[in-house]
Amino acid sequence: MLLAVATIGVCSFLAQGSTAQALASPGFAARQAVWLLVAAVMLVLFAMADYRVLARLAPALYAVSVLVLALMPVLAPLRSGSRAWLPLGGYTIQPSEFVRVVTILAVAALAREYTLHRLDFKGALRLTAVVAAPAFLVALQPDLGVALTYIPILLAALWLGGLPWRVWAALILSGVLLAGVAWTWYLKPYQQERVLTVLDASRDPFGAGYQQRQSQIAVGSGGLTGKGLHSGTQSQLRFLPAQHTDFIFAVWAEETGFFGSLLLVAAYALLLARIFLVAMAARDRTGALLAGGVGTVLAVQSLINLAMVVGVSPTTGITLPLMSYGGSSMLATGIALGMVQSVWRLRYANV
Amino acid sequence: MTFVRDDLRPVQRRLAVLLAGSLTLCAGVGLRLWTLQVTQAERWQRAAENNRLRRVPLEAPRGAVTDLRGETVLDTRPAFQLLLFPEELDNVEETVAFLAGLDLAPAEELRSRFERAQRTSHLPSVIADNLTWRQVAAIAAHKTDYRALEAHPATRRSSPEGPIIAHLAGQLSEASPEQLSRNSRLRQGQLVGRSGLEAAYDHVLGGTPGNLVMVVDALGRQVSQVDQEPPIPGKPMQVTLDMTLQREAAAAMADQVGAVVGLDPRTGAVRILLARPAFDPDLFAGRLAPARWQELLQDPLRPLHNRALQALYPPGSTIKPLWAAGLLLDRVRTPSDTVVCTGGATIYGHPYRCWQAGGHGRVDLEQALEVSCDTYFYYLARDVGLERLGRWARLLGLGTPTGIEISGEARGLVPSDEWSRRARGHPWYAGETISVGIGQGPILATPIQLAVAYAALVNGGYLVHPHLVPGVAEPPTSLDIPESVLSVVRSGMERVVLGERGTARRQAPGGIPFGGKTGTSQVVRKRDGVRWQDLPWEQRHHALFVGYAPLEHPELVVAVVVEHGGDGSAAAAPVAARILRRAFGTATPSGMVVAQAPAQPQVEPSPSRPPAAGGPS
Repeated sequence: MLLAVATIGVCSFLAQGSTAQALASPGFAARQAVWLLVAAVMLVLFAMADYRVLARLAPALYAVSVLVLALMPVLAPLRSGSRAWLPLGGYTIQPSEFVRVVTILAVAALAREYTLHRLDFKGALRLTAVVAAPAFLVALQPDLGVALTYIPILLAALWLGGLPWRVWAALILSGVLLAGVAWTWYLKPYQQERVLTVLDASRDPFGAGYQQRQSQIAVGSGGLTGKGLHSGTQSQLRFLPAQHTDFIFAVWAEETGFFGSLLLVAAYALLLARIFLVAMAARDRTGALLAGGVGTVLAVQSLINLAMVVGVSPTTGITLPLMSYGGSSMLATGIALGMVQSVWRLRYANV
Repeated sequence: MTFVRDDLRPVQRRLAVLLAGSLTLCAGVGLRLWTLQVTQAERWQRAAENNRLRRVPLEAPRGAVTDLRGETVLDTRPAFQLLLFPEELDNVEETVAFLAGLDLAPAEELRSRFERAQRTSHLPSVIADNLTWRQVAAIAAHKTDYRALEAHPATRRSSPEGPIIAHLAGQLSEASPEQLSRNSRLRQGQLVGRSGLEAAYDHVLGGTPGNLVMVVDALGRQVSQVDQEPPIPGKPMQVTLDMTLQREAAAAMADQVGAVVGLDPRTGAVRILLARPAFDPDLFAGRLAPARWQELLQDPLRPLHNRALQALYPPGSTIKPLWAAGLLLDRVRTPSDTVVCTGGATIYGHPYRCWQAGGHGRVDLEQALEVSCDTYFYYLARDVGLERLGRWARLLGLGTPTGIEISGEARGLVPSDEWSRRARGHPWYAGETISVGIGQGPILATPIQLAVAYAALVNGGYLVHPHLVPGVAEPPTSLDIPESVLSVVRSGMERVVLGERGTARRQAPGGIPFGGKTGTSQVVRKRDGVRWQDLPWEQRHHALFVGYAPLEHPELVVAVVVEHGGDGSAAAAPVAARILRRAFGTATPSGMVVAQAPAQPQVEPSPSRPPAAGGPS
């Protein structure tokens, strides 16, 4: 696991260095490096902690988290249209990233009570409520991108908890219905455009499809061996939008080519595989759900981002964990991976 | 152990499904990468090449400059510039030939600019400024042939008054690499002030350039605008200059070589700053062709030289009021002490001649100023010595830059024995002191230094700090010169113009009363029996005059230097008189009554050393 994280970390630093040059803000790469180191420290610290103790603390942590989120409209200043960032002694942190980890922990702690092979209705409802509360508060900020990443937590919990097939079918059906309703009444025109343009990327090559197309050009033109670090025309000429966050993988793919991007995808695959294997080796249900939850969230997030960059899913505003620029996300991921490592470390513990 | 382990097998099965699903999707991403980066690589690479995003720098218009009454000194006007997008340049030779055909610049120069543009990577470069309509039309018409070119609307510095404000306004040039690294506001290729006001107040006038990012198609046509960051225009500025007087000074100087400086003696506010000959400031409003630059540099009259601040002249007799103030201040003489001038003096066994061959007879201090008696000041110099003369000169600001905002000012020279040993390698000769007594020899001042010294003599003894923007300079500093001293000096200077025997008495009729002092300084060693009118131009004396008005409470000091003008009273005083009349009197369009055969200065140089012959210009 450490190998995979280290590989991704190095790639992240190199890609950020490149995009920092393109955006003419040299501070980006340096700060990203610092966060990577802090995240690594977090990983080691939480690996040495006992996840079961943390699970016991989960209700308290969860209560505090929800409280902070509820107070965000009061505490956080409006920044580019949302109240998602909290100023804290010269830094700004994004509580929703940390709350996500707490929510995973809370769900895992709750799962201890359901030792049956099948989840009953009451249990499913409780799990849903536990995930929905913070997700709803985050959506209110509004930070829809992050709110969406709470959904995999619920899905993982329901799946691992053993929801009956009939219920899944009902869920999917209502999901489709809900999507239809949302499309008609809730989605804003630009969000509709995003979905439509993924179905046909050439719909509007300079409008809504612009990001999608530029990203594909970046990845594709990288070829087998890439254009070399700091030499990607797509990124250096700033064709690529949001290149230090959502589209960081496109920068990497353009500059290091198929070999480099395959290495990175392999590293993510290795990391995910490792997390799920830890979950399977866990000594108890809490450990399994904790690692499984972390794995699912990371998997969904990474895969949606990668799919977006290679042009097979709409641009959702979901970042690539460990690669994209952002301290809160990096730290939260470090903590989550630390807890997974703790599950692994204590897999044979009897007490 | 009776520990009943929770049955985790179903959970493990479901986890395995998640694991398999994740890995499958990762493999899917890998497959997609193979398609994009290997199978379709060529297609996407072509797309990347056709992807033309242009970042067009938007120059910030420079701030306007107005004079004290709000009249325009510097402005901007719309003008087209030629941008080259180096990444899109396919055929250098063809493009160069096309542009050379439009008379934009010689092919050689265009080629070197293209090379420089290509070195600065992805950003467009300005290849030429100030395109004519014909050139703009031709470039637009050939858009599809030369898509790397674009005629881009911008603004250009303009100065309605042209050359008369050239030195004051200063020049613009592209920011140097050092400037770029020092100042983050600047962009590659941006024009910045290089001299004059433009340089001194570049931080005010310069503004911040913006950016326009647009997507263009393969033919260079704009398809959409991605981003726009509008430029922040430079701020307007009001300066203390008086354009009416500046114009008058230029008209009075006509095509003579020299400088005029006008100061408000009460504050040090600069009203006139003129140097002649000048250049057309429009040449420096954009990117100057190196050939034109060389041409200006090699002009023997040195039009780029800001003579008002940078040229050093022996002050000649304009130094005498300074000595008068000094001798009274140190009580070396009383105003009524007299000297008998018989047309010269013999000091240290050498003859020093007064300019008036027949002598001035018995003169006191005021009379000595009025008639500019050299003999009086020869004896004074002999009696007080170099050290004390130097102290008086320095007291009134000579030998130190005045500190005006415009850079490049000369220090001037107030000699001393120590200076002589250091700079010339031999001790000071006593005979030279006698020459310094009449402002000759190695004593040098700039026109603005003379104006500052005279301002102190007429404003109650305050050394002013000349400035173009009010409030930036220190307030005038008191020199502690008693009014009793100053009133004698001023009275002497009034008699120069208004006295019966005054050297500038011909300037008085038909105008307002003013005071001042004439000066004539030698360029080459005087030869007996040769009239200055018969000398070649470059060997004639420099003509100086420093004047002020109104008499009671002066509001303007004007220092005039006419290089090789021959005689201060004939060449320089009329210029000052005309400016002062424009400022305070009713203008007489007929012009000045100019003396036809003025008296010649008769200064015998020190026998031990010739005066600083030919030094100043």
